[in-house]
Amino acid sequence: MSTETLVQPHAETENTHMWSGGKSPFNVSYGKLMMWIFLLSDAFTFASLLVAYGTLRFSFSGNVETPWPLPDMVFNHFPFFHHMHMPLFFVSLMTFILIFSSVTMVLAVEAGHRNSKKEVEKYMLLTIIGGLAFLGCQAWEWTQFIGDGGRLFSNNFGLTEQGIQKGLATKLFGHIEWVEEDRMSGAIPFASFFFVVTGFHGFHVFSGVVLNVIIYLNVIKGTYERRGHYEMVEKVGLYWHFVDLVWVFVFTFFYLI
Amino acid sequence: MANAVHHEENHDLKKQIWKTFWILFGITLLDIALYFLMPQSLGRNLIFVVLGILKAVYIVGIFMHLKFEKLNLILIIVLPMAFILFFVWLMFYEGGKWSAM
Repeated sequence: MSTETLVQPHAETENTHMWSGGKSPFNVSYGKLMMWIFLLSDAFTFASLLVAYGTLRFSFSGNVETPWPLPDMVFNHFPFFHHMHMPLFFVSLMTFILIFSSVTMVLAVEAGHRNSKKEVEKYMLLTIIGGLAFLGCQAWEWTQFIGDGGRLFSNNFGLTEQGIQKGLATKLFGHIEWVEEDRMSGAIPFASFFFVVTGFHGFHVFSGVVLNVIIYLNVIKGTYERRGHYEMVEKVGLYWHFVDLVWVFVFTFFYLI
Repeated sequence: MANAVHHEENHDLKKQIWKTFWILFGITLLDIALYFLMPQSLGRNLIFVVLGILKAVYIVGIFMHLKFEKLNLILIIVLPMAFILFFVWLMFYEGGKWSAM
C-alpha cells in the first residue's frame, strides 16, 4: 500500500529511463534484490574461507614434518560399515541429498507461481526433510572426525611411512584400521578448516531449515494465499539454492581435491 | 485457451527443472568416477574445479532463475564472482610459493 502511494507520483512524470527512479532497474522486487545482494556478500565470506584453505593447503605441499592429511584416508567411513575403506561415498550421499532438496525447493517455487497451495506445502515439507537429513549426515561426519582424533587445533591424521604403505595397500571396500605407529600429527589447519568451513556451511543449512519451517507454517496458515503471491517462497528458495551451491564447492575443495 | 497456454508453460518449466537435476546428478557422478579412476594430478584438480563451476552455472542459472533475469542483475552477481575466481587462482599460486620457502 505505502509503496504504491510512493511510486505513483514518479510514474506520472514522464520517466522512461530505466535509472531515473520510480521503478526497479533490475525488474525484481526490493526483497528479492536484497536477497541477491546478501547472497553475494555471503559468497564473499565463503570464498575467503576457501581461498585461505587453498592457500594454506598449497603451502604445505612437500611438507613431511606435519604433512597435509590425505582426504581419502580421513573421510572413508560409511554408517554400518565399520573399518571399511569407502572414501567419498558418504559425502556423495550428502551431495545428492542437498541437490535433491534443491529440486524440491524449485518445484515449490514453481507451484507457488500457479498459486497451488497444496503443492507448495508438499514440496516445502520435502525440502525441510532433505535439509534435516543433510544436517543429520553432517552430525555423523563430525562425530567420526572427532572420534578419530580431529580437534580444532590438533589432529593425528598425518601418516607415517608405515601408514602410507598401509593406505596404499588397502583396496576399495577393504578393511582398514589405524594403529598408533601409522599416524602422526598432521597439518593443523586441516582440521581447523574442516570444522570452520563445514561448520559455517552447516550453520547456513540450519538457518535455511529454520527459515523454510517458518515459510512452511505461513503457507499452511494461508498467509501467501491471502496475499495473492508466493514470493516469500522464492526468496527463501534463493537462500536454499545458495546453500546447495556452497556445498558444491566444499565438496570439490575438501573431498575431491 | 489462455489457461491451456499457461499449463503448457508450467509443463516446460517442470521438464527443465528435472533436466537440470539429471545434469547436476550426472556431473556429480562424473566427479566420483574421475576420483576413483584417474590418479591425482593438477589436471584432475582443474577438471574438478571446472565441473564445480559448471554445476554452479546450472544451480544459479536455472534453479535461482538468474539466467532469465535482466542483464543488469546478472552482471552485478556474476562480475564480482569472476574477480573472486582470479583471486582464488592468485592465492593458490602464492600458497605454492610459500611451500618452497
